[in-house]
Amino acid sequence: MSKPPDLMQGTLDLLLLKILALEPMNGHAISVRLKQVSSTVLQVSDGSLYPALHKLEQHGWVSASWQVTENNRRAKYYRLTRPGRRQLEKEAANWDRISTAITRLLDLGTIQ
Amino acid sequence: MDFERWLHILPLRWRSLARARQLDRDLDDEISYHLEQQVDDLVARGADREEAWHRVRRNFGGVQQAKEDCRDARGMAAIDALRQDVRYAVRTLWRAPGFTAIATLTLALGIGANTAVYSLIDVILLSRLPYAAPEELVSITGPYPNGAFAAMRRELRTLDVGAYADGHFLTLTGRGMPVRLAGTRVSAELFSTLGVTPAIGRWLRAGEDESPNDRFAILSHASWQTRFGGDPLILGQSIELDGQPHEVVAVMPAAFEFPSRRTEVWVPLRLDPRNTARYWAGDFMPVIGRLRHGASLADAHAEIRLFQSRIGARFPWKMPADWNKDVSAIPLHEALVGDVKTRFLIMLTAVAAVLLIACANVANLSLSRAAARRREISIRSALGAAPRRVAQQLITESIVLAFLGAGAGVLVAAEGLSVLKLVLPPDTPRLMETYVSWRALLFAGVLAIVTGCAFGLAPVVQAARARLEGALDSGSRGSGSVVAAPLRAALTVAQVACAVLLLIAAGLLVRSLWALSRGDPGFHADQVVTARIAPAESVCGTADRCLTFYRELERQVQAAPGVRAAAFVNTLPLTGAIAKRSMVLAGYTVPEGKAAPLFWMHAVTPDYFKVMNIRIETGRGFTPADLSGGPAVVIVTSATARRFWPGGDPIGRQLRFINERNWHTVIGVAADVRGFDLARSVPDWIDGAMYVPHGPNATMEDGRIPSEMAVVLDTSLDTRRVTSILENIAARATGPIVVDDVRPMTAITAEAVAAPAATTSVLVTVAGLALALGCIGVYGVLSFLVSRQTREIGIRLALGARPVDVFWLVIREGATLCAAGILLGIAGALAVTRWLASELHGVNPTDPVTYAAVATAVALVSMAACAVPTRRAMRVDPLIVLREP
Repeated sequence: MSKPPDLMQGTLDLLLLKILALEPMNGHAISVRLKQVSSTVLQVSDGSLYPALHKLEQHGWVSASWQVTENNRRAKYYRLTRPGRRQLEKEAANWDRISTAITRLLDLGTIQ
Repeated sequence: MDFERWLHILPLRWRSLARARQLDRDLDDEISYHLEQQVDDLVARGADREEAWHRVRRNFGGVQQAKEDCRDARGMAAIDALRQDVRYAVRTLWRAPGFTAIATLTLALGIGANTAVYSLIDVILLSRLPYAAPEELVSITGPYPNGAFAAMRRELRTLDVGAYADGHFLTLTGRGMPVRLAGTRVSAELFSTLGVTPAIGRWLRAGEDESPNDRFAILSHASWQTRFGGDPLILGQSIELDGQPHEVVAVMPAAFEFPSRRTEVWVPLRLDPRNTARYWAGDFMPVIGRLRHGASLADAHAEIRLFQSRIGARFPWKMPADWNKDVSAIPLHEALVGDVKTRFLIMLTAVAAVLLIACANVANLSLSRAAARRREISIRSALGAAPRRVAQQLITESIVLAFLGAGAGVLVAAEGLSVLKLVLPPDTPRLMETYVSWRALLFAGVLAIVTGCAFGLAPVVQAARARLEGALDSGSRGSGSVVAAPLRAALTVAQVACAVLLLIAAGLLVRSLWALSRGDPGFHADQVVTARIAPAESVCGTADRCLTFYRELERQVQAAPGVRAAAFVNTLPLTGAIAKRSMVLAGYTVPEGKAAPLFWMHAVTPDYFKVMNIRIETGRGFTPADLSGGPAVVIVTSATARRFWPGGDPIGRQLRFINERNWHTVIGVAADVRGFDLARSVPDWIDGAMYVPHGPNATMEDGRIPSEMAVVLDTSLDTRRVTSILENIAARATGPIVVDDVRPMTAITAEAVAAPAATTSVLVTVAGLALALGCIGVYGVLSFLVSRQTREIGIRLALGARPVDVFWLVIREGATLCAAGILLGIAGALAVTRWLASELHGVNPTDPVTYAAVATAVALVSMAACAVPTRRAMRVDPLIVLREP
């Protein structure tokens, strides 16, 4: 089984912020959503998902609260804070800049 | 800085610290919810539950690792490390009880002394006055007579003002033995201006201080309790003060003291314009004010300057141009603490120096230990401890130690504070309110952290060096500690320097005190007992009756067994009592714009000079004939004669009171007496001093003759016997007479020394402490040097050195350190002791005797501290030392 590519530093944060921008979610739901949106190209082990979420929380970009799920269990829900939304915009713009640059570089390579 | 983000972050950080357990449980819940949810998903898709569980666990990766990562994400690593460090530090300190005890004690003394002095400063200098909105209160510098105050009250727009005249004693009669109460006359608005409410009763109403018939009294809580048994029905009762009924309208709260703790009763001023002399020349009173809404201190200041420029013209006589010309409005707090500020700052500086010494000492001790712990630190580094962690560990240890010291220091502070309360002069404002407050505790805490870091740094620096050397192989002994030696030497030099500085400051104060108490006060009254005599109005209502009473009293007292001589005086030296008169001197012109010379008038009976042993330098003393209203005569003091008739013969000169016509003739010159305090005959604002016979010509500003007198007795009897003699005589008189303040003249002199003595004794104690700690430092560093050189000494001895050579070898190192410290201390003292100048009398801040004495003493004491290590060095047995591995 070939190993999926490692996520670039900071990319996971960007993905999580983006996912949470749509609606507040608990950790499990985020994990499911991550798998759905990235199919299997970007694989995030659940083991690194939680430290990433906690780090975002400590940075004040997401806030967490305990809520009851539809099947009546207690789960920790994460939501994007306003500073988090600003951070998302900043990182998304950043990502655009870098990926455009890299794409252009790679295109250059194929022409030669 | 994203402020909104911190709104989220700060509560989280707090929870990480305070709710660590709860957060750990939440984390467990969160992850197990995740796992179970995934298992459920798989099972729903038809997987076997057992199988699903394994798959989920495998996908997740290390659960423990994930949890650790999460905890790190919220900064738990640092907190755990801190917790570990503290636990480790406590264990280490526990295993070194000797070191811990000495270090704790040293720090406790340093921190305790600082906390005690800070507690005083906190209440007396820093805290707000205990009145409503104290920042609005101002003091108008420069006293004003009744008339000027009344004008001020009517005319000022920026201030509500109140005035008070302190030091009026009132005789309380009709309730057992007559007693004298310390009274303060106040304007009706004084209390409302201060913004205090009475414990019971009401304030004086506006205008209740104007008519001579308004007789009201407000009692202090203490006098209510002691003089009236706390009678709950006291309000509205009539009490007899100075023979007149006064209605009690209020009792003050226990904590209220104004202007000082001494005041027992407040009675209204009598602002009566018909009594011109009293209205414009009676009490010159301090005035306080409260800024009205919208007015600033600057407005008030401007207005009072304007007021001053026009008030002079309204006096019934011409006021000198320079009278109160520098008047200003300053914050009341500043006015109240002005005098004591310097003393407290001196004390604070001194105790801060002690703390520095204590820190240096503990740093030195820690260094010795760090030298011994080099192996331990090296091992920890070798096992992978990051340099930062090692440093953090050492600093933590120091801070734990400092907190131990601070804890013990609080006990020292509480004890020290109660001693300070006894030692400091009782008129120190708000002294009794002081306590070891939470602010002082906070202060101790901050001190602990700062000192912890300060002395913790030394071993850290050394540990850093130790790492550089990679010291695991360098064994337990040898050259390894050389690096620390200069640091330790520097600390020791600093300690000795601080101690020298403090000792010089203390020495100067001691010499000044010595000069004060040994200086010739002008009187010699080792066997004199004094007492205040306050006859009631019925006894002393008119001059004739009063004088008759005193002649009779004098006769009876002189006849009492055991009394060699007796005399009377209106104002005893050194008691703060002053009677002043403005004078006209024949043949002396007052310089333009200056006030008429103000003299201190002593009204005495002829034997006063004999009883008090005051020398008559030229001319003659008084005779009984002078008492009975013959030609008016006066004796001036030596300094007064020199000032007003320089070079000429003062005998036969004429002078008179400014508002009277008859001239007094100078018949003698008396030696100067330190009457105001031990340094001065008269306060700065008085120009001369004179004696007049206590007869009809001895009139005071209000035109009456002094009715309250002090009796001075030349006797070997003790105060108890004197009291009973005086009381027996008083009981036979025609009206109530209060006899109180019976005490030896020596006690009065001692009290006058008390205020400077307090600062001095505190500083001497502190300096002694500094010297002791400094010696421990010298001893410590020299012992360390000797133990480091044991091997070298052993070799020298083996090669034929004599013990005396070893002696010189060691003592030279000690002497160098001490000499450097002493020189540095002297340099420091030369630089800073001029700040002491205001507290010094009769001694120069650079007094060479003090400097030399301190230098010699410190040299001797520190050499003594060197003795033990030197002896140890001389007894090194080369056989044993050289055989050691």
